[in-house]
Amino acid sequence: MSENKESTNEEKIESGDNLDIIDDGIKKLQEENSDLKDKWQRALADYQNLERRTQVEISQRVSSKTNDLLLNFINIYEDFVRAENSLSKEKIDTSGIIAVIKNMESLLFENNIKPIDAIGKIFDPQIHEAVSMIVNETLDEGTITQEVSKGYISGKAILKPSKVIVSKK
Amino acid sequence: MAEKIIGIDLGTSNSAASVMQGGKPTLIPAAEGTTVAGKAFPSVVAFSKDGELLVGEPARRQAVTNPENTIREAKRKMGEDFLYKIQGKEYKPQQISAFILQKIKRDAEAFTGDTINKAVITVPAYFNDNQRQATKDAGTIAGLEVVRIINEPTAASLAFGLDKSKEDMKILVFDFGGGTLDVTIMEMGGGVFEVMSTSGDTKLGGADMDQAIIDYVIDEFRKKEGIDLSSDSTAVTRIKEAGEKAKIELSTVMETDVNLPFIAQDSSGAKNLEVKITRAKLDDLVNPIVQRCKSSIDKALEDAKISTSDITKIVLIGGPTRMPIVKKFVSDSVGKDGESGVDPMEAVAFGAAVQAGIIAGDVTSDIVLLDVTPLTLGIETLGGVREPIIERNTTIPTSKDKTFTTAADSQTAVTINVVQGERPMVADNVSLGTFNLTDIPPAPRGVPQINVKFDIDANGILNVTAKDLGTGKDAKITIQSTTKMSDDEIKKMQEDAEGHAEEDKKKKESVDIKNEAESFIYTTEKLVNQDLKDKIPQEKGIQITDAIKELKDSLSQDSEQIKQKLEALKTIVNEVTTELYKNTSPPPGEQQSGEQQSGEQQSGEQQSGEQQSDANSEQKSENTSS
Repeated sequence: MSENKESTNEEKIESGDNLDIIDDGIKKLQEENSDLKDKWQRALADYQNLERRTQVEISQRVSSKTNDLLLNFINIYEDFVRAENSLSKEKIDTSGIIAVIKNMESLLFENNIKPIDAIGKIFDPQIHEAVSMIVNETLDEGTITQEVSKGYISGKAILKPSKVIVSKK
Repeated sequence: MAEKIIGIDLGTSNSAASVMQGGKPTLIPAAEGTTVAGKAFPSVVAFSKDGELLVGEPARRQAVTNPENTIREAKRKMGEDFLYKIQGKEYKPQQISAFILQKIKRDAEAFTGDTINKAVITVPAYFNDNQRQATKDAGTIAGLEVVRIINEPTAASLAFGLDKSKEDMKILVFDFGGGTLDVTIMEMGGGVFEVMSTSGDTKLGGADMDQAIIDYVIDEFRKKEGIDLSSDSTAVTRIKEAGEKAKIELSTVMETDVNLPFIAQDSSGAKNLEVKITRAKLDDLVNPIVQRCKSSIDKALEDAKISTSDITKIVLIGGPTRMPIVKKFVSDSVGKDGESGVDPMEAVAFGAAVQAGIIAGDVTSDIVLLDVTPLTLGIETLGGVREPIIERNTTIPTSKDKTFTTAADSQTAVTINVVQGERPMVADNVSLGTFNLTDIPPAPRGVPQINVKFDIDANGILNVTAKDLGTGKDAKITIQSTTKMSDDEIKKMQEDAEGHAEEDKKKKESVDIKNEAESFIYTTEKLVNQDLKDKIPQEKGIQITDAIKELKDSLSQDSEQIKQKLEALKTIVNEVTTELYKNTSPPPGEQQSGEQQSGEQQSGEQQSGEQQSDANSEQKSENTSS
């Protein structure tokens, strides 16, 4: 009797209703699998993107910190230039200071830092910042007459724009 | 991948933008690099003499050479019927703002490597519909679909994560920028921010502080050297840069030196500027400016009709709020410290990016993880009492179970009514669904053990399974969207629960005492008529029968009456059973009294760990209704 019962159950499993249940189960698992695969791929992609971004961020941070340091260094370098100008006017021997300035300039050059040309050039807002204007009938309008603070570029990026006074008619 | 949406803080003097990267807001740098002032995009637009469009930093740099063709602070004109006339052409304020947004879009695309078509833009809380619409139009002109306009103070609060708080709060947002002060008081409840009042000063900001420092340094030099540097633009530029640096340094150190060698020259030779500035001196210099903020705070509180003690949180925005004196001023004025952890210069843009991330779906995974069941989930038990299974505010996914029993003899089916709500009586809560567990083998009440398990998955879908522990047979129901009730509905249900607490308690007590009485009557009748039928003296049997009758009669009366009659019956039964034990001393472990039987029911219920502590008191009320 009990064996008969079991075979009846087996027959039931093969019946349409149960097949539908199995089909539904397979469909559900397939959906779950595709969902998990999607999430896994996203996680993998996120990781690869994170790795790439981290590299870029690290180099950006290093360059930003280096630039901050170099800007502070430039302030001191400019003080030396001012000192040399002032002392040479008083006929004091500045050859030692000039040597120091040259060493500083080569350090800037090695770090790809270059001063921005300003005096006599036509004002360009991409690299210069105007602090005021001065009337000058002889110069072309927009010519830089005075540089109040030197500007520098690092590669293609502006480290610090030149602060200038510009002519007007 | 979800489309990237950027958050933009479109400011009066400067703008900033941010985008979610790796689940965190990241500032978008301008192609020209960040300015000394902090924010990446000065809100300046200009047309050069030959008609070239300049936006942001280059426009700011050329402003003094070309003032007639340079537009600043277009934000102040947004929504007004105003036209800028530049080189024979007319521009609406939203067109000017669009140039700034276009520049931000371009730089954001270069930064992210994606095409950006959508943005969340912030506006001051006091902006009216016209001004908001104009901001939206500016986005459209710039080729950006503005998916949401949000208030700047709201954005800042989002950046500080205040929206995640479960408590209602009143937030004071102190936005002290380069040239303007905005004070906003907001109310936050259930993640919704509502502006209570705004106040401010359009001509007060960090620029005034910088000028105070420059004036002081120039004055010190004049006193020492007798030379006035104010007309020497090179010297003033150097002092301004050094002053700004000193101001920043003084936020972390107590004193700093401004050293500017060879700043001037006279007949006696080169002059060096050396001025020591202490934090106390800086505080002294900027204090008059800071004190001017007081009236705006007072006005905002007055308009919101609240006092400083009502303020729960303080959010500080803008560069000057980094200064210790400003922080202290706000803390002293309100009596609380400001929130920390986010750069006040970046908070608004970050908040806009967080909102953008929510809309884009970038941050949904976090939200699912943090989701909680807003209301208690439970089932109905005898007498319409709600028995909680998963308490409200439980973080999901989670699973909990309790074991119950039947309420009547030979009961072969139980109906499980799944309810949601905070009230103790089922009728006052919401029924989420019912199902039946059938084919329970006939047995006296209290014998079958039915385990009811609640399981909520990460999506808030609730599966309830009832299992007869005797036969292993089970039945279940799946309820979708238990957490999808609207916030209003949830709030109403929680408030209802608080409002009816006392009344509900009485109602539940009355049902509990009735359940206890019925259960005791059942046990005693079984004791008298079956188990101890021949052992109870006749006179005592009559006493018990009378007491049972009286208790039964009292069931339709109030709970006090039921309680009295129940106590009376208990006293008589106790006397009888005590007497019986005196006369018969059975070996330990073989006692079979009415009291013990109820103990057995109890031990069945104790299989679910949670119930042990209150199994005694709750035993009767946990019978499932049939």
